[in-house]
Amino acid sequence: MARQIVMDRTGDTRHNFDAKNADALLRAEERFRELTGAGFTAAVRTASGEAVVKRTFDPSAEETLFFPRLVGG
Amino acid sequence: MRDAKERVRLFLSERGRRARVLRDSLRRQPDRIYPSSRFVPGFRYGYGEREARGLELLKEWLSPEQFAQYDAKSYFEVTGCHSGKRYRISHGTSMNIYELDGAGRPRVGWCFVPKGYLVAGDVMLAQKIALETDERHALTVANTFFSYLD
Repeated sequence: MARQIVMDRTGDTRHNFDAKNADALLRAEERFRELTGAGFTAAVRTASGEAVVKRTFDPSAEETLFFPRLVGG
Repeated sequence: MRDAKERVRLFLSERGRRARVLRDSLRRQPDRIYPSSRFVPGFRYGYGEREARGLELLKEWLSPEQFAQYDAKSYFEVTGCHSGKRYRISHGTSMNIYELDGAGRPRVGWCFVPKGYLVAGDVMLAQKIALETDERHALTVANTFFSYLD
């Protein structure tokens, strides 16, 4: 089961989906586009635990984390 | 005169009692939040649970070294992907990033956060990923502040 985690004011919202299901994968890709289009950054972890930013949807990613646009504090 | 003194003593005693009751009730509240956050609609309820979830997520994404450091000291260090500089991210939601010098001493404070009202774990995780994957952009949007740590 793959997962997209979106940071938001509720803490985070998690979307689990079956990456082998074409419809679910399509919805996940649409969510990816909507979020990144809205300024969110998408990141995945490599096998070594390193974070990598994704500009395009990665259907093989088990977990993708989205965080909002950065602003000066 | 004696009566007035007695009344003042009773007044102060009652105020002290009320202050202790208020302090004890605040300590018992599991969802205590920073005062500045209480004006955000819907932010307060379940804050403790969200805070814990944010920290769980952060710990999942920290490297074993960062996790151990955070667990022991409430901060962890990251390496900027472009400059190779070291940064210390302390527990918090703002003004919590310090650029370290060669000796590991905090020199400059950097402040950037993900937009919106996020819990500390989420904020620190976004800061970590930003510095490790796109340091230049993160510092471009950041404000600096004087580091009083040493």
